Amino acid sequence: MSDKNQTTHFGYENVAVDDKATRVAEVFHSVANKYDIMNDLMSGGVHRLWKRYTINKSGVKKGDTVLDLAGGTGDLAAKFTRLVGPTGKVILSDINESMLEQGRERLTNMGIAGNIEYVQADAEDLPFEDNTFDLVTMAFGLRNVTEKKNALESILRCLKPGGKLMVLEFSKPVVPGLNVVYDHYSFKILPAVGKLVANDADSYRYLAESIRMHPDQETLKGMMEDAGFDKVSYHNMTGGIVALHTGYKF
Amino acid sequence: MNTISHKLLDILVCPVTKGRLIYDRDKQELISRSARLAYPIIDGKPIMLESEARPLTQQEVEQR
Repeated sequence: MSDKNQTTHFGYENVAVDDKATRVAEVFHSVANKYDIMNDLMSGGVHRLWKRYTINKSGVKKGDTVLDLAGGTGDLAAKFTRLVGPTGKVILSDINESMLEQGRERLTNMGIAGNIEYVQADAEDLPFEDNTFDLVTMAFGLRNVTEKKNALESILRCLKPGGKLMVLEFSKPVVPGLNVVYDHYSFKILPAVGKLVANDADSYRYLAESIRMHPDQETLKGMMEDAGFDKVSYHNMTGGIVALHTGYKF
Repeated sequence: MNTISHKLLDILVCPVTKGRLIYDRDKQELISRSARLAYPIIDGKPIMLESEARPLTQQEVEQR
């Protein structure tokens, strides 16, 4: 239980720890039905390349059990169902009902069935047996979790020995000058596009702010190591706007 | 579509206690005796959140 007086960040606002989950839920209920088109617009389609790289590095084999956590509309999960085949299993999980339902509808419409399951769950308290998954992925989800340490420890518990966690998340630009352009883009252009397409500038302003508050590459690496992950490494993409962190359970 | 698969039941545990769950097919709930909670299954999708779970009645706790 958290202390009522403790605060955490919700974008640039400070909110009570107990309120963050509710506030994040409101954002994603609000953006769920426009999430895919917004991702394309906001990243100029580049989010597809970031996700493709993640899948290429996943090492998923036939028969594997994969958890796509905070999997939103199911981009990664859809690809994993093909890689694990009929003997494997993919679980698409999200804490947000609207996002999970979008994902299920979308994947069902793509004809994906049989080796996929949908579970509404909190990353901080995963409802899975110990040592269940060969791979857990979290793409653009970790920054919305209130207590990241709890989530990382919960994921570690559910991974099989030898299993792998991959966290794809916005990070800190490492190319000189990119920061200025990126700031202008995120705080001016992104909320404007959000207003135009989704009629919801506030939600997209939260997204931009939450990206800035998220731990940078080295900090997240340290957090994963502290949670008990081994061989933690990261790979910067698009000049560090996004990083893919990988850690193992041995 | 509306039933929960055995493969999924095999790996689900109570998120609060990590204890085992009992599947109530009629009520479409997953019962955690250790947490005294029932998690709803809606359209075959288990809602494994403590905040969405129904507390078991004393009678239910005793009869199960």
